Amino acid sequence: MLEPNFKQYKPYFELLDQLFEIERKLENIEESNSISRNLNKMKDIFETNLFSSPTSSEIGFTYHNPIGESYNETRLDLEASIAGNSTENLVIKEVIKPIIRYKSGGSTLIARKGVVVVESKI
Amino acid sequence: MENTINIGIDLGTTNSAIAKFVKGDVIVFNNPLDYGRSTLPSVVYYKKDRIVVGNKAKEYLERDPKNVVGLFKRKMGTSESFQIKSINESKTPVDLSAQILKELKTFVNTGDTLESVVITIPASFDSIQSNATKDAGKQAGFKQVVLLQEPIAASLAYANMKKSKELTDGNWLVYDLGGGTFDVALVRIKDGEMKVVDHEGDNFLGGSDFDRLIVEKLIIPKISEQYTFEDLENQMKSATGKYNAKYYSLLNQAEEAKIRLSAVSSAEIIVERMEDEEGNDVDMEITITKSEFNDLIKDSIDGTIEMIKTILTRNSLTSNDVQFNLMVGGSTFIPFVRQRVEEVLQIPANCEIDPTTAVAIGAAYYAATKQKEISKDKSEKKQSAISIKASYNKASKESDELFAARIKGNTEGLFYKIVRQDGGFDSGLKELSERINEDLPLVENAYNFFTLTVYDGQNNVIETDIEPIGINSGFGISGQPLPEDICLEVDDYDNPGHTRLALIFERNSVLPTKRTLTFPINKPILKGNKSDRLWINVYEGPQTSLPEANKLIGVIEISGKQVSRDIAKGSDLEIAIMISESRDVTVSGYLNMSDQEFKNVFNPKVRDTNITLLKGQVTDLSSKLDEEIELATEKEDYETAGALSKVKKEMEAVADEAESLTDDDVTDKRYQLEDKKRKIAQKIDSATKNKRLQKATDYYYETKASCEELIENSGNDHERKTFNDIVSQESAFMATKSPLKIQEKSDEFHSIIGQIRWRTPDFLKGIFGSLLNNQAKMNDQSQAKSLIDAGGFAIESQNWDRLREINFGLLDLLPRGSKEDITTKIGFGL
Repeated sequence: MLEPNFKQYKPYFELLDQLFEIERKLENIEESNSISRNLNKMKDIFETNLFSSPTSSEIGFTYHNPIGESYNETRLDLEASIAGNSTENLVIKEVIKPIIRYKSGGSTLIARKGVVVVESKI
Repeated sequence: MENTINIGIDLGTTNSAIAKFVKGDVIVFNNPLDYGRSTLPSVVYYKKDRIVVGNKAKEYLERDPKNVVGLFKRKMGTSESFQIKSINESKTPVDLSAQILKELKTFVNTGDTLESVVITIPASFDSIQSNATKDAGKQAGFKQVVLLQEPIAASLAYANMKKSKELTDGNWLVYDLGGGTFDVALVRIKDGEMKVVDHEGDNFLGGSDFDRLIVEKLIIPKISEQYTFEDLENQMKSATGKYNAKYYSLLNQAEEAKIRLSAVSSAEIIVERMEDEEGNDVDMEITITKSEFNDLIKDSIDGTIEMIKTILTRNSLTSNDVQFNLMVGGSTFIPFVRQRVEEVLQIPANCEIDPTTAVAIGAAYYAATKQKEISKDKSEKKQSAISIKASYNKASKESDELFAARIKGNTEGLFYKIVRQDGGFDSGLKELSERINEDLPLVENAYNFFTLTVYDGQNNVIETDIEPIGINSGFGISGQPLPEDICLEVDDYDNPGHTRLALIFERNSVLPTKRTLTFPINKPILKGNKSDRLWINVYEGPQTSLPEANKLIGVIEISGKQVSRDIAKGSDLEIAIMISESRDVTVSGYLNMSDQEFKNVFNPKVRDTNITLLKGQVTDLSSKLDEEIELATEKEDYETAGALSKVKKEMEAVADEAESLTDDDVTDKRYQLEDKKRKIAQKIDSATKNKRLQKATDYYYETKASCEELIENSGNDHERKTFNDIVSQESAFMATKSPLKIQEKSDEFHSIIGQIRWRTPDFLKGIFGSLLNNQAKMNDQSQAKSLIDAGGFAIESQNWDRLREINFGLLDLLPRGSKEDITTKIGFGL
């Protein structure tokens, strides 16, 4: 599932998965402690601070929640299970793991595929 | 050119793989479209205009059976064929196998032309089935196909791993439990000849069945126990069921739990984001223990054991006659499988080879012993070159972009494929025609590169003249570049009492853009104290000039009056700066300690001048000017001194005017003053720039020389490399004529110097000596004394590592004095 060069980052991806889970849970909670600020800060650290060195351009990892996006067989950034009867007009119904992208300057690479369940849009 | 075949292919029922023998070793090629995996699911998906092979096809297997075919290996050699609805054609198992073989060709990244291969077949294949496999190889473009039985291939992989190529005469079993099929074979070696004597199998047993069992027998009952559902299992498993999507999500988690259970004794599955029939949110953590899981699969495993017993009885063998049981296939990773089989049969389980790739590896070893039998003159005439004229938008704000191309040359029998270079998109194999169109999905806010590759009917790459397709997403169309650097003013820790600019966005960065930085603040802000202030000053203009000389485009003042509690020195201030496409600047400062955010949006057309700040800057500028004049006069640089003295008069006028300005002045005066101040600062800046540049350059060369000397004497390779790296960039950063940039490089030399010095005995002794002189000032006298004693001993015994530690310890004991007393203007710095 991981690009060979990214294997060493697996524990970081697990952390990102947890951040994703927290973010998702936060959406349903009203809270006054601005937890999302700390969360965004952590995401930011992954994106810009953790792996960049002062002399090179910014590199890092971000995750993307593809919920609600459309899906077809050309999407290699996801591993999908198809629910329901139809395979036309598929949309992402449930995200088990987000897509993790590696960012270096302006270009990106899929560092880890997302895992999703898709279903035909009715 | 190599004379042996060297390429081995495991053409499996559920998964396939390709490997190559290279100089005594075998490499298994990775699936280029499925990171990190070396296997290709043996599934083919036909759409109207494209063919998709592998993982993506597998996803559609159950849902679109009229267009997706898997497990066709079971039908090899039969007259059965698969009617494909989307293309209204029927495909034979040979056609489908050829498609898999062609896809495997694209895994090979070593540039080999693949003409001869070894392909493995199950022990159960008869000659018709074997010939069908050969045909599939030919159809995929291989000219020479050599077949090898899978259990033999696995045995070869084992023998080669053991490096004892000759296995001793005797019998062993090859136990192959994969994702969806099970095979077991009895292999015998006699006088160096290896042979499959007998075999058994179950085409419908494998790892995916275990995942299903976990969901159906463990998870669903546990959910039903706690929540109200009517026939949850059916609602999950039926395609029209209410919880069908959830079923797949649970299968996924079950697979992960299964893998974890190979290593640990229990695994958790979390069930959430689901409501029961009474509207209660389902939220549970289900623990699955190893023993629960083992009980679950016990019957299936016992079934495989029965098959082995059948084989043994049929061949009048007892367990003692079998040397070992070679475990192959991903599901043999499960410890219980290995244990159970070993326990019941009393035949040692051999788990020494990688069960997922063993067959392909063995095939490659075999291939290395087989001669190529293709005469060279037969090599195919080269395809005439194809010319492609592509047209597409190089920048886009859409989520996908239409790519169109015209093809010149003979396109008959050719195919193409477009792949996004980040690995997120693959068009599948499509027929090439004179005109082609494809919607290319884009990753937002990134450069998207795609490659178009043309293949012939056997998936050999045909050369074309097309260049990589590059599309810039998100920005680019309307995003304008920044005309000037955007900087933040910070306290200059190298130059106490002064400030400098830290670069936030470089000139020509494309808008919109955003950045967040965190600084520890260097002074406390006491609640209610108006004079305790932090400044977030955002400037537009060159990073290298003085802050006062640049245009202030955004400012936020945070004083003790605004904070909800005392803010301690050292606590974090988080600054976020965002510039929109229309160049609105949003600045926000967030104080971690009080959880307060201060935010403001500044429009480029409306200036916002803070009078307190202006007054402060005017005062600073005046004293800076005086300093510079004095310095220039001292150095007898009368030209500079003269230029600066002229500025001095203007400065005095501005200072008077600023003084008379009240904090709530409503006239335009503040703007006029701001302008005047900026002009003065620019003049000072240009008058003194040469001086600063000279100073920085002199300092640079001085530092460089001492660093070089140190490295020569006691540097290590890493330090040498860092040093050389800096030197190699020298001409580039010198050309910037920026004192700051040059200073930065001197600092880098300094850190190398520091590193080396803290290793050298003389330096360590020197530091120790000076610390000794300061003993009286130290905080904890008894600890200081014992450290000093230890230091003396370390010097005697020449234990320099220890002396370094002691020095650090003693430094810690010194009172924190002078360093902390820097006057700070901004409240944070670099």
